[in-house]
Amino acid sequence: MSFDFSLVIDSIPKMLMGLGLTLQLMALSAVLGTVLAVVLLLMRISRRWYLVWPSVTYIYIFRGTPILVQIFIIYYGLPQFEAVRDSIFWPILREPFGCAVLALSLNTGAYVSEILRGGILGVDKGLGEAAAALGLSVRQRFIHITTPIAIRLATPAYSNDIVSLMKSTALASTITLLDMMGIARTIVAETFAPYEVFLSLAVIYMVMTFFIQKAFGRFERHMSRYLKREN
Amino acid sequence: MADLVGWWDDFFWGSVVVAQVFFASLTMMVLFGLLGAAAKLSNSRVAQKVAAAYTVVFRGTPEILVLLLIYFGSAIALTSLAQLYDPSIAFVDIPPFWAGSFAIGLIVGAYATETFRGAFLGVDPGQIEAARALGISGFKTFIYIQIPEMWRLALPAFGNHMLSLIKDTALISIIGLNETLFAAEQAIGTTGKPFTMYIVVGCIYLSFSTAITLTVMMLEKKANRHLEGAR
Amino acid sequence: MAQDEKQPVIVLQNVDKHFGSFQALKNINLVVNKGERLVVCGPSGSGKSTMIRCINRLEEHDGGKIIVNGHELTGNTKDIDAVRREVGMVFQSFNLFPHLTVVKNLMLAPRLVRNTSKAEAHDIAMALLERVKIPEQANKYPVQLSGGQQQRVAIARALCMNPEIMLFDEPTSALDPEMISEVLDVMVDLAKEGMTMICVTHEMGFARSVADKIVFMDAGEIVETGPPATFFDNPKSERTKKFLSQIIQH
Repeated sequence: MSFDFSLVIDSIPKMLMGLGLTLQLMALSAVLGTVLAVVLLLMRISRRWYLVWPSVTYIYIFRGTPILVQIFIIYYGLPQFEAVRDSIFWPILREPFGCAVLALSLNTGAYVSEILRGGILGVDKGLGEAAAALGLSVRQRFIHITTPIAIRLATPAYSNDIVSLMKSTALASTITLLDMMGIARTIVAETFAPYEVFLSLAVIYMVMTFFIQKAFGRFERHMSRYLKREN
Repeated sequence: MADLVGWWDDFFWGSVVVAQVFFASLTMMVLFGLLGAAAKLSNSRVAQKVAAAYTVVFRGTPEILVLLLIYFGSAIALTSLAQLYDPSIAFVDIPPFWAGSFAIGLIVGAYATETFRGAFLGVDPGQIEAARALGISGFKTFIYIQIPEMWRLALPAFGNHMLSLIKDTALISIIGLNETLFAAEQAIGTTGKPFTMYIVVGCIYLSFSTAITLTVMMLEKKANRHLEGAR
Repeated sequence: MAQDEKQPVIVLQNVDKHFGSFQALKNINLVVNKGERLVVCGPSGSGKSTMIRCINRLEEHDGGKIIVNGHELTGNTKDIDAVRREVGMVFQSFNLFPHLTVVKNLMLAPRLVRNTSKAEAHDIAMALLERVKIPEQANKYPVQLSGGQQQRVAIARALCMNPEIMLFDEPTSALDPEMISEVLDVMVDLAKEGMTMICVTHEMGFARSVADKIVFMDAGEIVETGPPATFFDNPKSERTKKFLSQIIQH
């Protein structure tokens, strides 16, 4: 047993062929998931039981079960029903890519919704009162006071969640997708050289994590610029 | 429900395996987390660097990648070692149970490192000073003042780590552990009802998550009882 | 003087307020006339803050009647918004919007609530910053200001809506001692201009020199009401005497 550097050199470009797919999965799911999260959040804080209750249940279910199980239910499970196979969604649900994006978005939506709620709960109650005392409506308070501050408070946790999402895209390889992980598994199956291939891939993922954190760090600094004491 | 006849015991034993993996990985997670936190808080530059690398690597790499690397990597190493004695041996592996428990314990331990470190630093130094000023020894201060307060501070995040652990156990089916997803695959093979079977798995995981959440809530209530009635 | 016209602008009739099983306000009756300056004092937990927070409905009373400038406070959002436009409030913890510069803190409500043009809102804001003597801080963020400066900005922010009534909820309690007077000076100026004011405060010097009327509260009730001279030199109630002796003991 030895560490074969030529295999590292060979496999990295092959795995990077899957980078596009990994990034697509991540970007699409991040956008769709965040939109879903905002909807869930608005339902959650609406104080109307028929909106609160479904939102809470949804979040509870999606945060309480493994993402892998969610992927399997959508990809392998849904075609059990003829209604699904006949529906207009079938072109999406037939494809592993569509299923992966759907599962990742539904999952991210639940997590991000709680993160955003944490941000909102973190906003000093006095600020809302001050805005109310000035005559701002509930909606104006939410848009002009709560939201900008909540976004700042939620950014670190949101950044961690996008990293989690990126890591979860690797699970798409379990439903035949050839993202970076899928390609790596294929190479390992052929060469039986897990160290060379998987360690190289780990480095690629860590570089991506680094850039995600860097980008959000910059965003957070921008959002916190008003907290610097010196001008 | 009729589809499930004959499969209940498979799911039951699968759940037992999930619980076993959970407790095994929980032990390792606490161990790695404490070691990591101790290293980060130590005066040794080397220990600090090692711990920092540990958290960066395992928080930035997909869980499935770590799992496959540990399982196949150790198998390769063991096999080549075994072949030194008996060249006819084709494959030796660490049992998936232990490889899997170790992998997820190691991954979540990286998150727990930050939790334990934060809890240690979160204890008000004034409390420690007060205890020392009363003539209480450093060791007793640690046991009676710092540990209970650290426990209270770490609990919410610790609860989340336990939820991560339980959900990550689903991944171990990928390396062939006989847990609930594995049971579902077998059941699907005979019944052709993937949706039903995976939903059962989802429900099992939801029950585990619920049990953990309730336990943590109870523990938090107990740990915070001295704060009740505070305004 | 204005208060001789005896035009009541705030009326509380038999007001009750509960927090769960705890009764924070018990049968409060109070009339404030236009131009009148009221100081509310009392031990902590006596319901002073709750009472003035009920006046712009940051807290909802659950018994009795509150009428502010002719609007009765009910669940009707329109009336509440109308009241809040006419009543300014200053908080103990300033509550400046941290993500907006000082001048934008002042411009926000006129822009959103009154649809004032940007230029006009800016002019109003700058004029008020002159009045509280910190125009040079206009483009700083709140966190870059001292506590006393922040509280003066908060007063200016409330004045931007051109309110007829100002509520002060312990405006100097969160301040370092050396900054209290700069805030009180602004409040004294306001009082001189004839603003109707209700101040919850422990500053008895301010109460004595500025208030027309002092209201002493304890355990959710109004125990005693009177002009400062009578209140300080000749208190009727035992509870008032005890309170006064406690605050001037040291």
